[in-house]
Amino acid sequence: MRPLDEKETTAIFEKLFKFTGPNLKQIVDRPATEGPDDPPGRYCFRLHKNRVYYASESLVRRATNISGDKLVSLGTCIGKYTHSGAFRLTIQSLDLLAAHARHKVWLKPTAEMSFLYGNAVLKGGLARITDNTHAGDGVVVFSMSDVPLGFGVAARSTQDCRKADANAIVVNHQADVGEYLRNEGEL
Amino acid sequence: MGKKKKVNLPPQLPPDIPDEEIEVSDEDLDFVKKNIEYAGFLTKLDANLINRHVSRVADYKEDELEAIYERKKKKADLKKAREEEGLQVDRVDALPIKTLEGELCYRTVEEPNIVHKDDGPASEVKEHDSDKGLVKLTKAERRQKLKKSKKEAKRQAKDEVKATLVEGLHSDVLAKVEEDLSAQDLFARKKVRLAEVGMTLLENPELNIKSLKDLLHICSDEDHNIVKLGLMSVVAVFKDIIPGYRIRLPTEKELEMKVSKDVLQTRFYESTLLSSYKAYLQKLIAFEKDPSFHRLAVRCMCILLDAVPHFNFRENLVAVVVRNISSADNVVRKLCCETIKSVFTNEGKHGGQVTLEAVRLISDLVKAHDCQLHPDSIEVFLSLFFDEDLGKSEPKEEKREKLSKKKKRKQHLEQSNQLPMSEGKRRKHELMTKTREELSADLKSVSFAPDSDERRRTQSEILSAIFGTYFRILKHSMDPSFQRSMLNDNSSSTGPGPRPLLGPCLMGLGKFAHLIDLDFLGDLMSCLKKLAGYNESFNDNPLGSLSVSEKLQCCIVAFRVMRNNLDALNVDLQEFYVQLYNLLLEYRPFRDRGDVLAEALKTMLWEGKQHDMHRAAAFIKRLATFALSFGSSEAMAALVTLKHLLLRNSKCRSLLENDPGGGSLSGLVVKYKPEASDPHLSGALASVLWELSLVSKHHNPSISGMASGISAMTTMNPSQTQAYLSALSPVNAFDDSQIERELLKALNRKSSFKQRSKKMGSEEFVAIDAEKVRGLEKEEDEDVIERKFEEHFMVLRDIGENEKLRLELGRVSSALSLYEEYKQQRKPKQKKQKKQKKAMGKLKSSIKSIQESIISFKPKAPSCIHEAKTHSFRACTSSLSLHNPDHITQLQKTHMEDSPSCSSSSPFPKQQEQGCLPPNGRINPKRFFFSPRSTKSIMEEVKNCAPKAKTVPGSSFCEESEAIVMVSDEPYRDFRSSMMEMVKVHELRDWPRLQQLLHCYLRLNDRKTHKIIVLAFVDLIMHLMAHEELFSLSSAPLCFSLRDLEK
Repeated sequence: MRPLDEKETTAIFEKLFKFTGPNLKQIVDRPATEGPDDPPGRYCFRLHKNRVYYASESLVRRATNISGDKLVSLGTCIGKYTHSGAFRLTIQSLDLLAAHARHKVWLKPTAEMSFLYGNAVLKGGLARITDNTHAGDGVVVFSMSDVPLGFGVAARSTQDCRKADANAIVVNHQADVGEYLRNEGEL
Repeated sequence: MGKKKKVNLPPQLPPDIPDEEIEVSDEDLDFVKKNIEYAGFLTKLDANLINRHVSRVADYKEDELEAIYERKKKKADLKKAREEEGLQVDRVDALPIKTLEGELCYRTVEEPNIVHKDDGPASEVKEHDSDKGLVKLTKAERRQKLKKSKKEAKRQAKDEVKATLVEGLHSDVLAKVEEDLSAQDLFARKKVRLAEVGMTLLENPELNIKSLKDLLHICSDEDHNIVKLGLMSVVAVFKDIIPGYRIRLPTEKELEMKVSKDVLQTRFYESTLLSSYKAYLQKLIAFEKDPSFHRLAVRCMCILLDAVPHFNFRENLVAVVVRNISSADNVVRKLCCETIKSVFTNEGKHGGQVTLEAVRLISDLVKAHDCQLHPDSIEVFLSLFFDEDLGKSEPKEEKREKLSKKKKRKQHLEQSNQLPMSEGKRRKHELMTKTREELSADLKSVSFAPDSDERRRTQSEILSAIFGTYFRILKHSMDPSFQRSMLNDNSSSTGPGPRPLLGPCLMGLGKFAHLIDLDFLGDLMSCLKKLAGYNESFNDNPLGSLSVSEKLQCCIVAFRVMRNNLDALNVDLQEFYVQLYNLLLEYRPFRDRGDVLAEALKTMLWEGKQHDMHRAAAFIKRLATFALSFGSSEAMAALVTLKHLLLRNSKCRSLLENDPGGGSLSGLVVKYKPEASDPHLSGALASVLWELSLVSKHHNPSISGMASGISAMTTMNPSQTQAYLSALSPVNAFDDSQIERELLKALNRKSSFKQRSKKMGSEEFVAIDAEKVRGLEKEEDEDVIERKFEEHFMVLRDIGENEKLRLELGRVSSALSLYEEYKQQRKPKQKKQKKQKKAMGKLKSSIKSIQESIISFKPKAPSCIHEAKTHSFRACTSSLSLHNPDHITQLQKTHMEDSPSCSSSSPFPKQQEQGCLPPNGRINPKRFFFSPRSTKSIMEEVKNCAPKAKTVPGSSFCEESEAIVMVSDEPYRDFRSSMMEMVKVHELRDWPRLQQLLHCYLRLNDRKTHKIIVLAFVDLIMHLMAHEELFSLSSAPLCFSLRDLEK
């Protein structure tokens, strides 16, 4: 377990910034809710076995007591480095992203299942979309009752969505909560 | 018959008249022929009449000079006679007026008569004519007479040689007469002429069209008033005579062609009308630059544009009116705006062309003035109306027609295939269709209504012009460089805001939002977002100078635009929600407009269908806080919205429960952050709506009821919610409570004190700083409390004095009865009796006066106040009297003769003067002292006391006054009232004189009483400072007075 170096940090922050925009500051700065410390510490990012964890400082301090090879996980895993060295956000980061997301997409109940099986969001399944979304922005996908279902990348802007036909892809799939079942072993 | 006589009888008439007569009266001849009986009857009368006229006219021509000379002579004689005698008077004002010097003045006959006389034979004839004409003239005759009168009145020497001769003579004579007339007469005459010419024009415009030129001629008079009148009357004439079509002058070719007389006449009429209209407009436009005629010219043009927007030269009219649309002159601006609006609304009059022109001109104006115009100039657009069906239904119908045509053709083809037609038949058929098409084309060109295609085109052009203007304004108001310059300007000059056009522009955008092309939508939204103050990087905002109301308006417009284009996609305007969330905190009740806020709440929260949970919770929390801190109408609007949000979002009802934390719902933010700028990050779900329990104690019953209703929502089933969705929108609620508040204000002005204290109470609930609030309360109510206390003590004092008076009365009456007993017991001698009688009389009078004074006191002492209340007060005074049993004070008296009010304000106990009461150790412990306003009955006796009093010469005003020895058990009060009196009477306002007064008192009195005098003096000064604020006394003079005391 080690803190991230500069390159890794920028890679992660860039990814997060796509989804949260200026709220990224909030993610880094928010006071920790776990641990007995008073005043509460911050959250920090740790790299452990190619995975990036988001954990409070007190938790990290306690985790140092455990040897690296014995430690399986700490805090929340938000992403991992692939073999090619690229950083990828995993589905566990969904709660963090959903709380701070700038661009949201709400799905019609009929389109929920399709998305949860790993398909992209089509215009026909779109119930609502945040204004001013541009193509390439990170988007968090919600059900109509405000339950976060997953996240992806917007394929077209809000303006273009208006004109697109019902079968056009609006959001490219990145992760969804169905993965907890589908890829249980990988996670 | 009739016609013959008419033509033949007047041989003396100038030859032109019969010529024209015949031309004109063709129809009338028919008329006469048809009604021979009627006409025959008329002709008998006419013969005489015309004879008379002709002869008279002839006379006039021949003897004109003589007659006028004679008249002038007569007039001069008359004047002379009047001046000499001075007694020739008008019948109406027969009574003479006597001036201050005693001269008798007689009103002489005034202008109207003179005017009538001097108007000459022309007007006489005219009057004569019109009198008779009204009764029994046929159309032809009337025309003839009008001709005559016109000629005489106008000295136009164009038509005939004879006429020119006559005119020349006439004008010469007229000029001479004019010289004689005073300017006023001239004015009156011109007025009359204007009216006459106008009337003749209106009676028959076709014939008298030439007199338009005369009217125009009058308009170029030197006299401003005449010019103004002329311009106005010409407007009236034009308004009535301008035809309902546009005049097209005939081309050269057409002129060459031979046409009938009627056509010629019409052509002549139209060309004259057009040329004079043109001349008139040129004149108006010239006048528009003249400041003294500016208003009038603009008004004339507005009237014309309003009445005849279809007529020639409307472009010039529109140009001038639009140029003045943002004039600094209020009247002119209002006029222009009204006109443009009426042009916009009455499109049927001109078929939309003028609207397009006006809109284009306005947008050019905005461009030229760099968006620095009066808001009215853009507000005009709001009255535009776009027919949306034009664009949709028509093309469909056309398509349908095409389809049907195709079908028909197909059918035809089929038919032709089925039954091959013969050659002749086909030709016939083709011919038929051709003629049909031609016919329909002709119909289209003839029909007045413009083609729907054309109308659609104009509409789209108008729209593009309008949106061009709007976008220009938006862009302009976002330009940061302009911002800075405007900020600098604002510091120097307080104009109508840096963005005068933004408000109406936003309104217009809201109204026409549904007509915007979707391609523009993105840019528009980003514009609005920037204007609403949203900033991506949360840096310092260069657009911060927009007011809260304007920002709210931006949000509202954004939502309207989105809602109007909702058919495409449901878009969540998160940025605007964030803005609203922050603007709620910036709202100040008196700076910003509450109705805009209510509108924003309605469009954004109340009408919005879907909100995610966190946002709804954040808004609920913030609205509750908002309801606590602002006025009742805002609170009402906020509560209505809050209730609606709670009903819609059942998950947010956990806010109403008593345990903070929100459980799993609260998301990542575990603690409520009230200052968060993003509703999603505020963590409102972790909080409790404690505000509601405070709001339910609101002084306004409707608000408190609403609040308690909301808090009762916890127990509600989710299924019940839909039934409870009320129809009351925040805007309605706001308006209702606003009205309620106004009513309350009007009704309970008296009980404002109570209300205010309640309001204070409600503010205390906020409980930010209890001491602060109390301080506020004190500050606000200090003067009210002071006034109340003053009244209270006044009443108490009156009661005390009343009691004293009663005691006095009892004592005197007992003394009297004692004395009577004594009288009965001993029959006294005659000598003594006289003295006793005197004493008796005095006593009786004194009793009477005391009784009167009691009566006069009674109404002042409220019956509800019991003695128990006064007791403490009396006890206080008695203790004072015990401590200083006998102070002999010297009361300064103002000089009695000065003024009755002065003397009346100086009551004096008569017992002292009488000296019949036994003096004891405490002299007069129950003596009374009137307040100045109490009685007047004793004052007669007061005068007598003056000589007895010891006089001590003082300084200036002290010398005028007299010192009076007084025995008092309340020296402090007596001193104070005496000083007060002195100050009042002598109007001592400056410090040195007040000081003088103090010295005077100190000098007059014993050293023992000095302390009391100074105390009274200081008290008095404090009182004066508090109440009248007449002088600003620093502490230095007070110290000075204390030093005096020590001395």
